[in-house]
Amino acid sequence: MTSRSSTSASFPALLAALLTLILAGCGPSDAPSPPGATEAAKASSKPRVALIMKSLANEFFLTMENGARAHQKAHAADYELLANGIKDELDVARQIDMVEQMIAQKVDAIVIAPADSKALVAACAKAQAAGMVVVNIDNKFDQAVLDEKKVRIPFVGPDNRRGARKVGDHLAKQLKPGDAVAIIDGAPNAFNAVQRQLGFADAMAAAGMKVVTAQSGYWETDKANQVAAAMITEHPQLKALLCANDSMALGAVAALRAAGKQGQVLVVGYDNIGAVQSLLKEGRILATADQHADQIAVFGIEYALDLLKSGVAPADKETPVELVTAPAPTR
Amino acid sequence: MAGTTPAWRHWIGEFLGLLIGLAALITVFGLTTDHFLSGTHLRTIANQIPSAVLVATGMTCVLILGQIDLSVGSVLGFAGAMLGVAMTRWHLPLPLAVALALAVGAICGAFNGLVSMRWRLPTFIVTLGMLEMARGAAHAVTGSQTQYIGSAVGRLADASILGFSLPFLVALVVVVATHILMVKTVFGRYTVAIGTNEEAARLSGIDPRGVKLSVFIGTGVLSALAAVIDTSRFQAANPNAGLGLELNAIAAAVIGGTSLMGGRGSVLRTFLGVVIIAVLNSGLAAIGAKDEIKRLITGAVIIAAVIVDVYRQRGVRRPA
Amino acid sequence: MSPAPAPSHPAPVVRLRGVGKTYATRVLDGIDLDLFPGEVHALVGENGAGKSTLCRILSGLTPATDGGMELNGQPYRPRSKRDGEGAGVHMVMQELNLIGTLSVAENIFLDHLPHRAGWIDFPKLYQRATEVLDRIGMRDLDPRTTVDQLGVGPQQMVEIAASLWRQCRILILDEPTAALTEPEVKQLFEQIRNLRAAGVAILYISHRLEEIRQIADRISILRDGRLVGTQPAASLTLDEIVRRMVGRELGAESFAEGRTAGAVALSVRHLRRGHQVRDVSFDAHRGEILGFAGLMGSGRTETMRAIFGADQPDAGDVFLHGNSQPSRFRSPREAVQSGLALLNEDRKAQGLFLSLGIRENLTINALHRLSGFGGWLRRSDETSVVRSWIDKLAVRCHSPDQGIVELSGGNQQKVIVARWLFRDCDILIFDEPTRGVDIGARFEIYHLLADLAAQGKAVIVVSSDLLELMSLCDRIAVMSAGRLAATFRRGEWTQDKIMAAALSEHLAPTRATAASA
Repeated sequence: MTSRSSTSASFPALLAALLTLILAGCGPSDAPSPPGATEAAKASSKPRVALIMKSLANEFFLTMENGARAHQKAHAADYELLANGIKDELDVARQIDMVEQMIAQKVDAIVIAPADSKALVAACAKAQAAGMVVVNIDNKFDQAVLDEKKVRIPFVGPDNRRGARKVGDHLAKQLKPGDAVAIIDGAPNAFNAVQRQLGFADAMAAAGMKVVTAQSGYWETDKANQVAAAMITEHPQLKALLCANDSMALGAVAALRAAGKQGQVLVVGYDNIGAVQSLLKEGRILATADQHADQIAVFGIEYALDLLKSGVAPADKETPVELVTAPAPTR
Repeated sequence: MAGTTPAWRHWIGEFLGLLIGLAALITVFGLTTDHFLSGTHLRTIANQIPSAVLVATGMTCVLILGQIDLSVGSVLGFAGAMLGVAMTRWHLPLPLAVALALAVGAICGAFNGLVSMRWRLPTFIVTLGMLEMARGAAHAVTGSQTQYIGSAVGRLADASILGFSLPFLVALVVVVATHILMVKTVFGRYTVAIGTNEEAARLSGIDPRGVKLSVFIGTGVLSALAAVIDTSRFQAANPNAGLGLELNAIAAAVIGGTSLMGGRGSVLRTFLGVVIIAVLNSGLAAIGAKDEIKRLITGAVIIAAVIVDVYRQRGVRRPA
Repeated sequence: MSPAPAPSHPAPVVRLRGVGKTYATRVLDGIDLDLFPGEVHALVGENGAGKSTLCRILSGLTPATDGGMELNGQPYRPRSKRDGEGAGVHMVMQELNLIGTLSVAENIFLDHLPHRAGWIDFPKLYQRATEVLDRIGMRDLDPRTTVDQLGVGPQQMVEIAASLWRQCRILILDEPTAALTEPEVKQLFEQIRNLRAAGVAILYISHRLEEIRQIADRISILRDGRLVGTQPAASLTLDEIVRRMVGRELGAESFAEGRTAGAVALSVRHLRRGHQVRDVSFDAHRGEILGFAGLMGSGRTETMRAIFGADQPDAGDVFLHGNSQPSRFRSPREAVQSGLALLNEDRKAQGLFLSLGIRENLTINALHRLSGFGGWLRRSDETSVVRSWIDKLAVRCHSPDQGIVELSGGNQQKVIVARWLFRDCDILIFDEPTRGVDIGARFEIYHLLADLAAQGKAVIVVSSDLLELMSLCDRIAVMSAGRLAATFRRGEWTQDKIMAAALSEHLAPTRATAASA
């Protein structure tokens, strides 16, 4: 009898544990605290900062989050961190849910890398209205939408267009004016993809290169590989491929290798991920840009903490983008 | 009578529609672009399809069995990740790392098969779970970082025989062998029978479990083999590799006339389905079509192919 | 050929003139037929004679290739079943058309569920369903029962109920009694007579000629897609009907001559499974045909499934060929390997591979005999095997690779019989071997079963057709509510005795309650 009653008692307990786990997965990953604890945390006067990221399946954002976590550990006395990401980079709805959850949790500040530069504005305006400090990192909110909603959300992050321009300018030095080049874009609905394309295009236009085609590789190696392979056969005169991120640059390099055009077509990327380091060394990728992913979120968090303390009217803050090149270009 | 019908008429009926469609695509792209019909471009396509062919081949067998495997793309990612980590971090030699990757595929497939049979769960659900688990595992082992391996693994994809890359030849061999397995052997007959009516098969004295398990393991291994090929092509293992591949594989199988209800499908026709999709993607990229146009056209081609298949079904009776 | 006038009404409600249908071949040709209000018009013919096609044309499921139809003097060209139903033509199909997960009531009123603003009005639904069920004498059936929980017989009654509640002028019943028990048939006939009195024209298709003689006013006989004739039922004898259907004489034969029972091949002891198999023990001998009679739901099919390993028994043993060690089959595969065969009651769901050909359906469980190293199939051997069985059982088809779905029910059944015969099992259990099979093919199957027994195989036949069992079997076991109530030898049995045994458990309530407690 006793064993039976204990199993029946443990089942709801198990269920509860499971639910907590699930909720923890959806909600703040650090402290799945019961409602009472929220008040306690509030009382402790340590500010709670929510970091809402894009896809953690993406190396770039993972680096960003890891940087933030490291920063929080070093400054554990100053603030609490609730870090969350979405599974799919394009899952805008999930990210909106997350912002609303944070509003319900009554955090002090939200630092967000929006998956969509327009769709997240309303939710963040709501957070601001609820008295929270909101800081926009990585992907800048659309100015027109901000104006329409009459909100100001400070942006802390790199200027992707300027970064891409730097990469493009460096590439242009290796080419002759009039050379044919092609651009492989990121996901077309992403602000930073558009910015990077503009930056590449600016640089190419300034140096007198001819952009013969620009197509989306959706940030992915495999898709970029297909696009690049088609580009190099269709435009045999191509001299360079400008890729909006390094994963796609990997795909482009593979396409060149398959077509036996290694060394004849230059490749540049963006983000400076670990996997391209040796390719940079070998000169198979000419250049990439480092946005210091590990620092972007940290800058955002520090900025938010400053704002919480001072309450000064927010302004944008640009973080550095650094050009990374092959040590000794082999041409 | 069946014996007197020439085999070629049967074959034409089976493949004519797909071949006409393929020829039409090639003609259109050949006329609208400058270099589409060049040897290099066709070789490029041949170089791109092996992993898609392998995954679609596995998917076709699963569909013929009346099941579905949504985890193929994630298993590809996971197996590739293991290959990458094995070589970069553990410094295993290539053959051992490849064996490890294939074992990962086999284990994932076995999990799909065993769990769905033990608890009588629809494979849609179990493989949906595996889709998440394998992707999570891929990110866990790589720390979500693309693993650059370099030419140590690249030599697999670079090897070529008679101008065809090794992966392409491997894919061809797998397609032909699987086709023979499905058409000429008892195992294939059982697969079709179980896919048509599992209960009737069971009551006829067939044990569906062995067949099911084998097909799921086979599909897992093929996904892993595709992972090896992809990793070798890119010289890097990306934990996001194979994202959404399951739908591409289903699309290729469906273009090839595979029934989602089970019992009907052909690995050879699926192969043509993969080729059609690859030619379409490649051609549209060569034209420089805008992304939204690409998607519209690809979707329309899938539906058109299935409609054509409906007529093929009606037109080509069994040889009479 | 001149149609005999209907009892009372002079004008036909439906008039068919020169109706024909061509699929790949001509299946129906030049049919002239009149249906009068208030008559039961039987349509008989062998499988493949065109009865079903004619019904499908009349109900709107298939358009006719040529000819014309009139309904109450107006041209009638239904484009769909719904169209036909709108005109008052309803058809209850041979293959049940119910949704298993819904309740009886929901199935009956599926397209006319009573509702308030989209919410189903369940009290009203159940009340109306009860009324309809009451009309066909199924007042014991709870309309809230899920259809899946019912046996085939009650399901058929639900299907009939679903068409009866509508205002219908013409009711087409395709093999309505194939799965019904005697009392259920009686209830159905009562209902048919009520409908006839109300002026409904009923087109009644059945292989059970005795029933047709009971219920029909006129009989139309089809053979090979043509109408042989239409005559008042009273003017035809059974022999005459059969002769005109098959175009030759068929003697009333007994299939139990010249056999002697041999050693025990199968012993079943104290077999139990749930409520449906309660302590069943029997022996089946080589060289005999053992029949299993009983009402619908008496547990015959369940007993056979439990023996065969298709369902796991709760208790009990099965001994083969006098072995002292029991054989426990954990799966049908093990049973088949030990020489057992089970021919299922529900062909479509449990027997056939509908989208495959005759070849695949016939050889599926004996492929080891047709394959070499690595499971490589010897296709030409397979072809000749399939051809030889097609010849032996006179399967009507044009190629071994013809789709099984294109064959008539009887020919499909022959293919499945061939499957088990080719597997060469020596203990063969046939569950309703002639369900939906026409008279000609039926007699061929009887001959086959008799031959098998004569060859020394143990044959068990489960059937709801008592006459079939009585002409075929050496012994008949009768089940009642999960128990084996009695076993009769040839010569000992009468229809009355068998029926009494079949009802015995229902007449002994104390025992039944004791067992269920």
